[in-house]
Amino acid sequence: MAERITDIGPPHYSKFLPPIIKDNYGKWASHEILEPGVLKHTAESGAEIYSVRVGSPRIITTLFARDICALADKYCGGYLRFTSRHNIEFLVTDKAQLEPLKAELKKAGLPIGGTGHSVTNIVHTQGWIHCHTPAIDASGIVKAVMDDLFEYFGSHKLPAQVRISLACCLNMCGAVHCSDIAICGVHRTPPKIMHEKLRHLCEIPTTIASCPTGAIRPHPDKNLKSVIVNEPRCMYCGNCYTMCPALPCFDSEKGGVALLVGGKVSNAKSPPAFSRLAVPYIPNNPPRWPETVAAIRKILIKYAEGANKWERVGEWIERIGWEKFFEVCDIPFTFQHIDDYKFQAYDTYRTSMHFKF
Amino acid sequence: MAVVEYKGKTFEVDEDGFLANLDQWGPEWVEYVKDLEGIKELTEDHWKVINMLQDYYKKNGIAPMVRILSKVTGFKLKYIYELFPSGPGKGACKMAGLPKPTGCV
Repeated sequence: MAERITDIGPPHYSKFLPPIIKDNYGKWASHEILEPGVLKHTAESGAEIYSVRVGSPRIITTLFARDICALADKYCGGYLRFTSRHNIEFLVTDKAQLEPLKAELKKAGLPIGGTGHSVTNIVHTQGWIHCHTPAIDASGIVKAVMDDLFEYFGSHKLPAQVRISLACCLNMCGAVHCSDIAICGVHRTPPKIMHEKLRHLCEIPTTIASCPTGAIRPHPDKNLKSVIVNEPRCMYCGNCYTMCPALPCFDSEKGGVALLVGGKVSNAKSPPAFSRLAVPYIPNNPPRWPETVAAIRKILIKYAEGANKWERVGEWIERIGWEKFFEVCDIPFTFQHIDDYKFQAYDTYRTSMHFKF
Repeated sequence: MAVVEYKGKTFEVDEDGFLANLDQWGPEWVEYVKDLEGIKELTEDHWKVINMLQDYYKKNGIAPMVRILSKVTGFKLKYIYELFPSGPGKGACKMAGLPKPTGCV
């Protein structure tokens, strides 16, 4: 404890701003997207800065970080930033450097794009790389999906921006609950109970209270000091495993992907919305998850064909109606789509005669 | 599961050094964790926290929330960190032989 330094917080961001941003801070007049991936901001003073946005896999090595630092040193006076969707932005002041930078990025395999009406980077989680509660992998599915949708990253072909997110369990770290298309890991089996270990590893009251449906109760045998799960009440959320390591619920055959659609966070035109269930289950199929990739592409294509300009996925679905959405995307409507969680479920049923055959 | 031997006693521990078998707790365990935690000497205040945690766990089956620990012992969180440098969870609960804290810690 002798030499310990603590509570110093992050370094102040102003230390890392390019001089031109520092000088024009809060005094920007306009911006334009010159081409997919390249933005130009003009300040009131007439100063201009160009940002070149490139995709990143989010999980990177220090060698990769050094490579992008070298590029920033060469073209941007040593300045770069990461966006809130883990893209990298190279901040160029000298317009003459723009083309050489783009050429070198292309050579290095860093894709330029992610601006405007594109599919930008996928916000995602840890998956099988680091977490202990996932039902699906994160990085693997993200790579497979972005490979498939790569043409939409470096282009502005869509009616509006499409935000895709992934969470590897329904803890939903990240943005799956509010994304245009969301990939969420789901279990389909109740937890297995390790009765002998449970009392050494878990706080039983906390475990019982973690269940949203009240399916867990103390084991009837008082000497055992364990719990039992009422399986018909269990919806496999995995919350109890988060609280209690003696209740593992991952099943490699049964876990898989659920797709949700129609969420957004911006207030533009329509209020923010939650994403809703579109496909209840697609099996895990590493390393390329072809069924998941195909399902996402289908939704995206039908959206791109059907939506008006500026219409987000959720706004498109609201306009045509959910029954039409399931019809055009050719997704079977199943009992899993019907909300049955507590009192709020009632509000999701149709209480009107307005519907399309 | 690793096994630790200390002063003639053996303890099963998990990868974070928490007791894997809570029945093995004893004063020797406290001695052993004390060295790991960088605590020079166990004072009365240390024991007050350990005893409070154990009583609460025996009675309720859970570790107390930090505010309850503070309120019952009368120690502010800052002082609890002075007693147990790794904090009430990783430090005090480990020493008191409670299960490892879970959730998104």
